[in-house]
Amino acid sequence: MGEGSPEAVLRCEGLRKSYGGLVAVDGVGFHIAPGETYGLLGPNGAGKTTSISMIAGLLERDAGEVMVAGKPLTTRSTDAKRVVGLVPQDIAIYPDLTARENLSFFGRLYGMPKVELKQRVAEVLEIVGLADRAGDRAEEYSGGMKRRLNIGIGLLHRPRLLILDEPTVGVDPQSRNAILESVERLSVEGMAVLYTTHYMEEAERLCDRVAIIDSGKIVAEGTRRELVELVGQHDRVRLTATGDLKAAVDAACAIDGVKGADVIDGGIDFLADRAGDRLIEILTKVGASGVIVSSVRVEEPNLEAVFLHLTGKALRD
Amino acid sequence: MGVPEKGCDAVKALVIGANSVRRLLRDRANIFFVFMLPMLLILVLGAAFGGGSDPRMGIVAEGSGRLGAELADSVRQTEGVDVRDYPDKDALVVAVERGQLEAGLIIPVGYDDTLRGGGSVALEFVARTDPTSQALRNTVDSAAVRQGTLLRAAAFAESQGVMEFSDALELAGRVAEASPEVLVTQEAVGEPFVFQRLGTFDMGAYSQLLLFIFLTSMTGSSALIQSRRLGVSRRMLATPTSVGTILAGESLGRLAVALVQGLFIIFGSAIVFGVDWGDPVAAAAIVIVFSMGAAATGMLMGAVFKNDQQAGGLGVVIGLGLAALGGCMLPLSIMKLFSPGLWRVAHVTPHAWGIEAFEEIIIRDGTVADIGLQLAILAGFAAVVFVLATWRLRVALTRS
Repeated sequence: MGEGSPEAVLRCEGLRKSYGGLVAVDGVGFHIAPGETYGLLGPNGAGKTTSISMIAGLLERDAGEVMVAGKPLTTRSTDAKRVVGLVPQDIAIYPDLTARENLSFFGRLYGMPKVELKQRVAEVLEIVGLADRAGDRAEEYSGGMKRRLNIGIGLLHRPRLLILDEPTVGVDPQSRNAILESVERLSVEGMAVLYTTHYMEEAERLCDRVAIIDSGKIVAEGTRRELVELVGQHDRVRLTATGDLKAAVDAACAIDGVKGADVIDGGIDFLADRAGDRLIEILTKVGASGVIVSSVRVEEPNLEAVFLHLTGKALRD
Repeated sequence: MGVPEKGCDAVKALVIGANSVRRLLRDRANIFFVFMLPMLLILVLGAAFGGGSDPRMGIVAEGSGRLGAELADSVRQTEGVDVRDYPDKDALVVAVERGQLEAGLIIPVGYDDTLRGGGSVALEFVARTDPTSQALRNTVDSAAVRQGTLLRAAAFAESQGVMEFSDALELAGRVAEASPEVLVTQEAVGEPFVFQRLGTFDMGAYSQLLLFIFLTSMTGSSALIQSRRLGVSRRMLATPTSVGTILAGESLGRLAVALVQGLFIIFGSAIVFGVDWGDPVAAAAIVIVFSMGAAATGMLMGAVFKNDQQAGGLGVVIGLGLAALGGCMLPLSIMKLFSPGLWRVAHVTPHAWGIEAFEEIIIRDGTVADIGLQLAILAGFAAVVFVLATWRLRVALTRS
């Protein structure tokens, strides 16, 4: 599906925002298809939240265009916003209202009819695991529960596009896992998800495609595999072995796709493209060299390495 | 995935307003502010301005006999005077000193006997030093003169041997009742000078009410600031809800509270204490449009300021400043008399127009039709400030 495809739930291009002389977002653009989870991966201050704020129609942009479900979205739009659910990074709920009251309030703002709203509120309370505390004021909740309520509000009206801005920041591991599972389910159900994070593992787990953003610009975009290949990163095959390791290295390096190998303490490290596809061939060559392999480990390059390669800095800098 | 049906902006504004009121009432501290404070104001206004505009006069007539009682009745029957009986002079003097009475009349013991015996009697009049007391003195003088006329007629009849004094006095009374009267009518011309109205309703209740409504409505700013700080206002903007609707909703909540308070005070003080607010429909109309402007001003402050401390401190200063300039502390009539320039400047405040409207319905018995200009200007003020607040909130929410 191309960028201009009419099926895209979200299409944005050329987004730009500056504050005085500081350019916070500079030419950000991408598209998201139904059922696709798209990640914006970048360190704090990279421009993720600013980009999302412009996409959700919360922030006036200096330039650029946002189309949601084929309709333009600006701060003044109401039609396009009807199909967007936003989960802001900072918890935005009324602490003196209960979970049910918070959900009902925002449901009414989305124009949901009362009967449908009541039923949907009950469903969402189940989804976010707050059904048994629905009548308690939000100020009595733990941080994780508040964050789940924060997400529930975004899901309430069954949006076609769900925008989650760092939804797991400050969340305990159990709640974090519950949140990630929820996002995975939503994607399976056909919801387009825009997910920002500076946690590489979340982007790898959830996102079909990832844009790496730094200093307000998208520096690379694609599936994890595409990004890895883009920057020339290779899989690593680590063998624990004994025997004539040097001979095994020479033999295996002749295999197409093997980019290099080194003898290390107690074994061999191979660098290869799509190592999984070549593993049998590598083991065969190594075995033929008289080397006895006791263990094999294949490591695919992660986005952290990609980010480091592209920006020269670590994600959590 | 279903797309929810389009919601009406008015319904959304009501939802936001109802939510605002619910949250306000959920905080117990606000219960005092919303319900107890107006009750206190009713008591204050009732005590200060209650009992209508009738001046109160006490009478001591113990042991004064039949003629003393008749004199007291004559005073009591005077229209527009609230007469109360006291057992002795000391109690009467204390009541006058404490402001419970504007004046008091002591009819001495033996009044009847002395007069029937042909002697002279001195009535003692105790009064505060204000124009109302002087008017009450005139009332007593008139009653004494009326009784004196009858006494002289009876004495004349007795001296001529026509009949006994008592019979002659009774006959003179009946003749006087049947005789045609010479009446004096009064017509007020020109604007009344304010000090002539001291002690009546005119100087206080409505200016206090306007000051109170404006100040309480300004507290709405803290609710908006809180919503902004919680990120909820911004989140509302992410829904298909315009900034104008968000602000209208927040304003509605505060407007509802201000209206309940204002009308509660008006009707409470009128029913319990008999405070006269003029035409009730016109008074309600003034409170409604004035509250709209006050609520909009609160929203403007909520959109401009970033924290409660700023809004709270400056809110009181602005609220009191506008009230002072607008005539809630220095009457507009004095302002006009001594500083026409200041009087003109005062009319940039909604308070001045509110006060003028109340003066029209209370002093000149005006109706809604008579205060159309004031209502229109107050409504215009509310509209302009609301537009400014919407613009400022939009800037606050969407540009940073």
